[in-house]
Amino acid sequence: MPDMRGRISIEPQGDVLVIQGAIDKTAGLTALLEQARDRRLVLDLGGITFINSLGVRDWIRMQAAAQRGGIAVELRRVAEPLVHQLNMIIATRGAARVTSFFAPYACDTCGREDSLLIDAIAHARGLSQLEPPAMSCAECGAQMVFNDFPERYFSFLSV
Amino acid sequence: MISSGRLRAPSILIVHPDHKTQRTVQRVLGGTGYGIDVADDLGQAVRLIAHLEPILVVLDGSAMAAPNIKQFFAAAKTRGAEACMTLVGAAQLEHMPRILGLGAVTNLLVHPMPLLGEELTITAQKLLRSDLFGAEKYLLWGTRLCSTTLTRASQRAHLVGELAEQIRTRGQSARVASMAMLVTDELLSNAVHNAPVDERGTHYRAELARDAELELDARHEVGLRWGCDGRYLAIEVTDPFGSLERDTVLRALVQNDVKDSGGGAGMGIALTYRSCDHLVFNLAPGKRTEVIALIDVRYPHSERVPASSYNVFVERS
Repeated sequence: MPDMRGRISIEPQGDVLVIQGAIDKTAGLTALLEQARDRRLVLDLGGITFINSLGVRDWIRMQAAAQRGGIAVELRRVAEPLVHQLNMIIATRGAARVTSFFAPYACDTCGREDSLLIDAIAHARGLSQLEPPAMSCAECGAQMVFNDFPERYFSFLSV
Repeated sequence: MISSGRLRAPSILIVHPDHKTQRTVQRVLGGTGYGIDVADDLGQAVRLIAHLEPILVVLDGSAMAAPNIKQFFAAAKTRGAEACMTLVGAAQLEHMPRILGLGAVTNLLVHPMPLLGEELTITAQKLLRSDLFGAEKYLLWGTRLCSTTLTRASQRAHLVGELAEQIRTRGQSARVASMAMLVTDELLSNAVHNAPVDERGTHYRAELARDAELELDARHEVGLRWGCDGRYLAIEVTDPFGSLERDTVLRALVQNDVKDSGGGAGMGIALTYRSCDHLVFNLAPGKRTEVIALIDVRYPHSERVPASSYNVFVERS
């Protein structure tokens, strides 16, 4: 089981910055913009386990600085805690483009709950109609149900 | 209009247009032993309340859109009502901004149809008995609460991580653990930094950096308890200052902007409210503040509603 409140780690993998751990006061996210290439910054956020209100402030500062500097930010594999913040506080969205994100699913047959990756581009049409893509349970193969309210969970995609 | 009698002792006033819901609420609250008066709409309620001394008024969420709602709240306050409780069903969620914006609704219960009887009863009993404190009231009998005390500010991150691991170990999902972490972190941060107040009312730790080390002596210790009964995960944080005020809470719930500077981001209560299913403030002015966040751990979410309840209880002096 990962340390859910572990400190943030940032690791470049090709053109992508992979961010893992907790985003809080110590995250220093604005510094990431220095690693933008050709005015483009791609963040893999699948490993984010936690973000508190001070982390949200830092995130908003990073987004605002990116907009001022004309840097296009792409967010990949956005973890649920960050999706939650994108939905709650509009300023966190900035001008970033979300290309994929994790979402909660549950299996009515075996009771398993999972956070599953959704390709926001491939499923753009369905998501705009608040229809989550179908997913199969990794344990029993049954069709899983989306385990949140689509009108709430997908609201960050509507801007 | 259905009226249960001519009792003029402290009573409960229900204002709801649907007679079936009227009767259901009446039956639930009848268990308190108080007289119940019922009105179909605010016009009737305004006329009726002039002859009553309701300790509690229970309103349907749709009443919030009525033009005379402020007149009703003023009349209720004049007649000594201790609290206004609003019931919001799944079909009435559009009234939420109005309810929150009024700043007069101290108790909001968001419920699937027809009614969340447990929360209604607990809210009424707490008000009527003046027995406010303790997360046990929201959990099934016998649910064990884990308890710890924060004696240094730097323990916060460790405690939050440990709580998340224990929640996962007990079979809860990553979603629940993630919500619990956010809620616990924000509530502990508020209790450590925003609660301490001196004799002049100055919040002397509010602007300190949240990652700075602070020794929390007996006067500043913060209590954390949590437990889960299979329906709710309850997280309770207590500080010994009692400096949080009712109106501050009601303003904070609707906060949408992050403070750009200062020790905190000014969003702790709002984020906590939006990250749990029911947020309860038990305020004993000058003595203690207890905040209880309830996270519904059931799945799928068919019995849940995409909005959260809250209560603000103030201990009578």
